[in-house]
Amino acid sequence: MLNIPSLERRWLKYKIKSYFPYILFSLLTVILIIVTTIFIHLEKSNKQTSPILVKQKAKDIILQPKDISPEIILEPSMQFIETMTSTVSQSTTPSVSIPVFPPKKVVIVQKIAPISPPAKISTNVITPPSLITPAIKSTTQPSSIKRDTATFDIHEIEDRFKNNSNPHLGLYIARYHYDHGNYNEAYNYALKTNSINNTIEESWLIFAKAMVKLGKIDQAKKTLQLYISQSNSDAARNLLDSFEKDVPK
Amino acid sequence: MEHSLFSKPKELFIDVVNPRDYIQIDSVSHMYQNLKASVQKPLKMILLYGRPGTGKSMLLHKLHHDLSKHQKVFMIDIPIIDENDFLRVLAQKIYGYVNREAITLTTFLELASAVNYPQTPIVLLDEAQLYSTALMEKIRLISDARALKFVITLHKTDDEDIIAKEHFQTRIWESIELQNASPEELKIYIQKKLLKSNCFDVANMINDKNIKIISRLTKGNYRDANKLMFSLFSLYAWFEEHHPSKINYNSLKPKYIEMAAIHTGLIHA
Repeated sequence: MLNIPSLERRWLKYKIKSYFPYILFSLLTVILIIVTTIFIHLEKSNKQTSPILVKQKAKDIILQPKDISPEIILEPSMQFIETMTSTVSQSTTPSVSIPVFPPKKVVIVQKIAPISPPAKISTNVITPPSLITPAIKSTTQPSSIKRDTATFDIHEIEDRFKNNSNPHLGLYIARYHYDHGNYNEAYNYALKTNSINNTIEESWLIFAKAMVKLGKIDQAKKTLQLYISQSNSDAARNLLDSFEKDVPK
Repeated sequence: MEHSLFSKPKELFIDVVNPRDYIQIDSVSHMYQNLKASVQKPLKMILLYGRPGTGKSMLLHKLHHDLSKHQKVFMIDIPIIDENDFLRVLAQKIYGYVNREAITLTTFLELASAVNYPQTPIVLLDEAQLYSTALMEKIRLISDARALKFVITLHKTDDEDIIAKEHFQTRIWESIELQNASPEELKIYIQKKLLKSNCFDVANMINDKNIKIISRLTKGNYRDANKLMFSLFSLYAWFEEHHPSKINYNSLKPKYIEMAAIHTGLIHA
């Protein structure tokens, strides 16, 4: 008697068994292909990287003497600078020195020197003496050029001040505007500088002088008196005395 | 079940050796003609050998069926292992000598010389590999004395080459080897068998692919093919009764052939 369900189950088992070697073989083949592909790919990548490394190493080896040679070559460039400085010192005409050295530095030195000695010190630190000397020696001929560049620079410095709120920059801008007769701007920047750092003497002086120029003499006097009471500044006292005489500097 | 399309084909493949069911296949037919010709020659022994299921027994039965009309032929399809019984049965069947006691070889040869047949009687021994060496020696002596002519069948297996044994090597004058059926022969065999019984629809269902599977499973063994076809048609009969929608009447389903093979033990699952 046939037991069909049992036979069907046995047949299914038989089919799975009969196909198993083929499935196994296929799987092994696929795995082998994948492994081979990966291996080949890795080998290729190794081959690609290794020559570069070798080349790089070779370059390093070759570059070593080259790296030394620029140091030797740099000497002439130093000589060039030396020749430049020597030519600048020897030349009587300032036209050569003007494009090389920024005029703003010249302006600072010229204008600030009589008002506040500390400013002079700061500029001395920044600029080498050799650079200042030609500027001092220079005549007023290229003044228009100086102003143009300075105008351009003052906007740049104002932007920088807005970004970093450096009180030294604020003082510089206030001083610049005061020198150029922009007393409102000078007042504003001095006020901002004082609010950032209230120990800068020159900023207080510019602030007071700008107020006087704007007609706020009493307010300027009160500000100076207040500052003198806190700092006991001689420069502030002198300025206040000059205000008492109604002669602002 | 009685009216099933597959019930009659199923009955056709019941493994019974019947000369009437003999199917003429070219190669087998050629072998049979050779065998018949050899029998007519004054040979003492004729050996018919081959692997199991190659149709040796069927040929022997067919030969018995055909020759018995013209001459004295006795067939021993179930081997008689005992030597005394063997001679006693032969004396009784061929010479009509009835004796309950055992007879000797000398007595048997005396009987043979006493009875005069126009043609030497033929004894057909199936499954001769089961006979003992001593009995085979007696058979050889009887055939040497021309008292009887023997046609014997032997199983040729991979394990033991019986034909290589001495008594077969020295005494056999004619030997015919039967081969396993090729797929084409198997197809002819199955289809002829079905067509002979007017099972045309079922015969048309068997295609070359089916035959290939059957041939692969049975290895050209007619007996196994019979068993497989019997199981297959039993299975079809079951499906026809229970799940007729699962039957494709255009061809045999390979799955069902394999299921039948599992049932008959041709596939170990």
